[in-house]
Amino acid sequence: MVKIKHIQVMTDDHFQFVRISEQVKEAVAESGIKNGMLFVVTAHTTTGITVNEGLSCLESDMQTTLENLVPDDYPYVHAHWLPSYGRTSANATGHLRAMLTGNHCVFPIEDGKILFGAAQEIYFAEFDGPQNRRITIEVMGE
Amino acid sequence: MVIDMCVHPGFLKEICGDEERVLFRRKHFGLYKQSVWPVELFIKQLDAAGIDKAVLIPEDLTVRCGDSIVSNEEIKTLCELMPDRAVGFASVDPNRADASEVLEDAFTRLGLAGLVLNPSTQRFYPGDEKLAPLYECCIRHDKPLILQMGVSLQPDAPAKYAKPLLCEDVLLSYPQLRVCVSHFGWPWVTDVAALLLKYENLYADTAMLYYDSPKEFMHYVFEEQMGRHWADRTLHSKILFGSGYPRIEQKRMRQAVESLELRDSTKQKILGDNARQFLYGEAE
Repeated sequence: MVKIKHIQVMTDDHFQFVRISEQVKEAVAESGIKNGMLFVVTAHTTTGITVNEGLSCLESDMQTTLENLVPDDYPYVHAHWLPSYGRTSANATGHLRAMLTGNHCVFPIEDGKILFGAAQEIYFAEFDGPQNRRITIEVMGE
Repeated sequence: MVIDMCVHPGFLKEICGDEERVLFRRKHFGLYKQSVWPVELFIKQLDAAGIDKAVLIPEDLTVRCGDSIVSNEEIKTLCELMPDRAVGFASVDPNRADASEVLEDAFTRLGLAGLVLNPSTQRFYPGDEKLAPLYECCIRHDKPLILQMGVSLQPDAPAKYAKPLLCEDVLLSYPQLRVCVSHFGWPWVTDVAALLLKYENLYADTAMLYYDSPKEFMHYVFEEQMGRHWADRTLHSKILFGSGYPRIEQKRMRQAVESLELRDSTKQKILGDNARQFLYGEAE
């Protein structure tokens, strides 16, 4: 059996980590699936899904690290006129930071519960907000 | 206070009930993949960019295209939804037979704050005599005029109508009319700088991104195309912040202006004080 749920997140800032574990747990409970796999996938190329400990200090460190790895000011080739869009692209940093977090996470499900480790939190990572964002939660199993 | 002088609101959900209208906007505004989102998100974007007020720009293309990209009524609707954050301008196609009546209605019944005209898309020369009733209406109601000059990023919009020196006839004939050359008339920015030097009633906004990143382009315009001290020494009271949203994000355009090597007092004027002077005629 496969169950899919889409959730929306309206972010508040340019760079933001949004904790979504509770929404994912609800989706798993609604699915009725007891044993299987969970996939959480973002629909956007300037956002990510990542898993880490849910501490504000670590969120700050993750942001600093991604900003250091992908600096705001750099001659990115992406910064040019895009005729098919009718605009100039200016969000290379969002794309590259999203590449580093990846677009999804995976967890096993056992007895209807997500097998989280003791410290694990699922984050939706916004790298070009504020925006309306869509996340897909897919549960596969029986 | 930070004021964005150039916001195109055509993709805000509250005025996008008709899908055909959204398609019309994408085609004629030339923003082909733009999503629709609600005013609630727009306000979050203003907050994230540190912008207090946005000047909403409509565009009446009735004669050439059969409709407006955003109508004056829709601007009024949006202003009512965010009265503290929006300043609504009016548009009228100068080629309409009822152009004067439409503008009079926009100022009196709808209470809109100024007139915006786009010579390239509406196909007129700013000094054409047929514009006189519209300019006189602005003066009669003490409303400012935005002229969208320079190369337009919209389709089917010849630049020959939008060379900034064409504004000089208007500036000479109507010295009491406050005029803003939008997009700094790019690429003819030194023509605009020359006019700004001469005409007390003229302003220019920064809503321009044609090449590179916003920061790179702003530095190119203000430090290479123009002398790097012109803004601090002479044009500090004449430049208005504008983003061109949603063709480019407001947060990026504000950061670009902030990154210029200008005095803090000049930046403060560019980001908001000069716009208040232009919009309301408030003394410095």
